[in-house]
Amino acid sequence: MKIVVANGTHEADFIIKKFKAEHQQLTVINSSKEFGEYISNSNHIPVLFGDPTKEYTLDDANIRDADVLIALSENDIDNYVTCITAKKLFGVKRVVSVVRNPKRVDLFKKLGVDSVISSTYLLGESIKSESILESFIRTLSIENDKVVITEIQVESDFALASQQVKDIHFPANINISCIFRDPDVIIAKGDTVILPGDKLLVISTPGEQKSILDFIQIKVQNNES
Amino acid sequence: MKKDKSLVIGSGRLGSGIAGKLSDMGYNVLIVDKDNSSFRKLTDNFSGYDVVGDATDLSILESEALIKEVNEVIITTDSDNVNLFIAHVCFYIYDIPHIYVRFSDTDKGKLIENTTIQGIYPFTLSITDFLEKRDESAKL
Repeated sequence: MKIVVANGTHEADFIIKKFKAEHQQLTVINSSKEFGEYISNSNHIPVLFGDPTKEYTLDDANIRDADVLIALSENDIDNYVTCITAKKLFGVKRVVSVVRNPKRVDLFKKLGVDSVISSTYLLGESIKSESILESFIRTLSIENDKVVITEIQVESDFALASQQVKDIHFPANINISCIFRDPDVIIAKGDTVILPGDKLLVISTPGEQKSILDFIQIKVQNNES
Repeated sequence: MKKDKSLVIGSGRLGSGIAGKLSDMGYNVLIVDKDNSSFRKLTDNFSGYDVVGDATDLSILESEALIKEVNEVIITTDSDNVNLFIAHVCFYIYDIPHIYVRFSDTDKGKLIENTTIQGIYPFTLSITDFLEKRDESAKL
């Protein structure tokens, strides 16, 4: 299959590795020079530097008649434009967009994007279907245990409580995907403040899960220590 | 429901100018911008409504911008991608009779072919203006 991956950061790197292992024919476009180089070095593949919402970038990338295009930017609207341009002007058979705002899932589909993926939407659905769960930390595995979603409740004595996300020095490859703060679901941005009682949802590989749990549960240093 | 409103999205120089003109002409005008301070560009005698909000959010379009009562929409935000998306939403979801959209990049026009959406291209207009002025100068 000819697969195009447009933009994205760690999630792009992750699926590129997966597709590469399956020996798919990959075309990678990234508008961040820095991340493009990272993906290129980490996967030993060429990455075209450019804005995939532009027709000429997709033309340079030679995506005509690709089987699938996946748009992974953080900007929902850019992903829409990338998908529609690929589909209408380049005949790409199937276009897939991720969205940050779960309300856009149905809308993008109505407008012609074949698949729309919202991690919050999926998480919401998955968590709802996991019933029992009184436990403090919950784990959900998807993709045959290659990815785990960890839910952990913040206690007031955690070091990261009451801090802004941007001020927390997470270990590499850890990102908070979303925060459940009853009744809201919050997509964590740099200026989001984590509060005691929040439930954090973190996506990682199984190998990283322990370091995530250890990190999040670091307690505030008290004076005696 | 009567569709009698004119909706301008993006209160930059072009958007606020168009809103002012339509308001002068007696139309029922609503103007939407993400940033409250953008409305300073509206003229003092503008008699329409200004709405602060993100026009890519359907709940804002429906509850604040009264999209279901709109006869014409003029889309002039500073992002071609946002403009294209809103134009598609107005055409495919809300069936707005008259849609005008400003694009800096003329390539975006290909994505509104086979619709009733009309593109406005400052680039093309400037070139036409230049060539006309050049012709006139040559005659002097």
